[in-house]
Amino acid sequence: MATRDASTVIGRGTHVRGRIAGDGDVEIHGRVDGEVTLEGDVSVEQGGLVASNVSARRIVVRGAVKGDLVASESIVLEEGARVVGDLRAPRIAIAGGLVRGYVQSGDGQSAPRAAAKSVARPVATKAAVVAAAPAPSAARPAQASNGSPAKKAAPPAPQQVAHASRDRGNAPRAISLAGGGPAAKHGPPSPVVPSLKKGAKGALKKKA
Amino acid sequence: MASTVIGAGITIEGEVTADDDVVVQGTIRGKLTSRDAVTVESGAVVEADVASGPLSVAGSITGNITSSDRVDLQTGAKVVGNVKATRITIADGAQFKGNVDMDV
Repeated sequence: MATRDASTVIGRGTHVRGRIAGDGDVEIHGRVDGEVTLEGDVSVEQGGLVASNVSARRIVVRGAVKGDLVASESIVLEEGARVVGDLRAPRIAIAGGLVRGYVQSGDGQSAPRAAAKSVARPVATKAAVVAAAPAPSAARPAQASNGSPAKKAAPPAPQQVAHASRDRGNAPRAISLAGGGPAAKHGPPSPVVPSLKKGAKGALKKKA
Repeated sequence: MASTVIGAGITIEGEVTADDDVVVQGTIRGKLTSRDAVTVESGAVVEADVASGPLSVAGSITGNITSSDRVDLQTGAKVVGNVKATRITIADGAQFKGNVDMDV
């Protein structure tokens, strides 16, 4: 990264409609309608608005984002942040602000991704809300909170994921051998509806 | 410090609209509009129509330029496109291909 010093600023009165990509840090004070994909750090400052997905090394939000945030290192939501979208990063700190979305911290490799998504999702959404609510207590500086508020948020999800993966511990082998076997084992009981022979319905109707 | 800077290593594909001055060190493809000054620095690549206040170019612009003020093409600048402005300077060593339209 030869251009590490290069810093990009989207000023207060600036509106970008389109994709921002490359490596280097970007500070957004204005408005961006378009994907932001960077190798560097992104900060959405107070008054800044990003209306699409952001993926970067580190993301700091003090403004508004409507879209998913994916960071390879960390996400920090500070006071004044408003995020509607999913957060995914090894470390996530919600030190203030409002979030609506699915939050997943940790490297995500420990649990099967499909299981985490399908099973833990509704639970984890609640966890995200919980994480957002006690935020004021986490009013310590965000730098120090390298995951400490996130820890509050994080445990429920991995536990759920752990349960999920434990439940499914035997499943993958079974699935690979016999397709629907485990589904029959774990699935709901078959509906209690008397099966009628072909034509029986018509016969009943005629009688009635 | 300009209010908007597109750093080297950054590419924007789309439309950039600004109220204040813009400095481009990276790449813009699409459209660049500013009410204030635009500076395209050496190494920058703009493949877009540019509408701005005073425009100073040391990098490369491919696209039509409309300026409400002056356009300065500095040494090392490379511009392909038509230029409409109140005043134009082209420094020795700047490359330029296109029409010039000044209010005569």
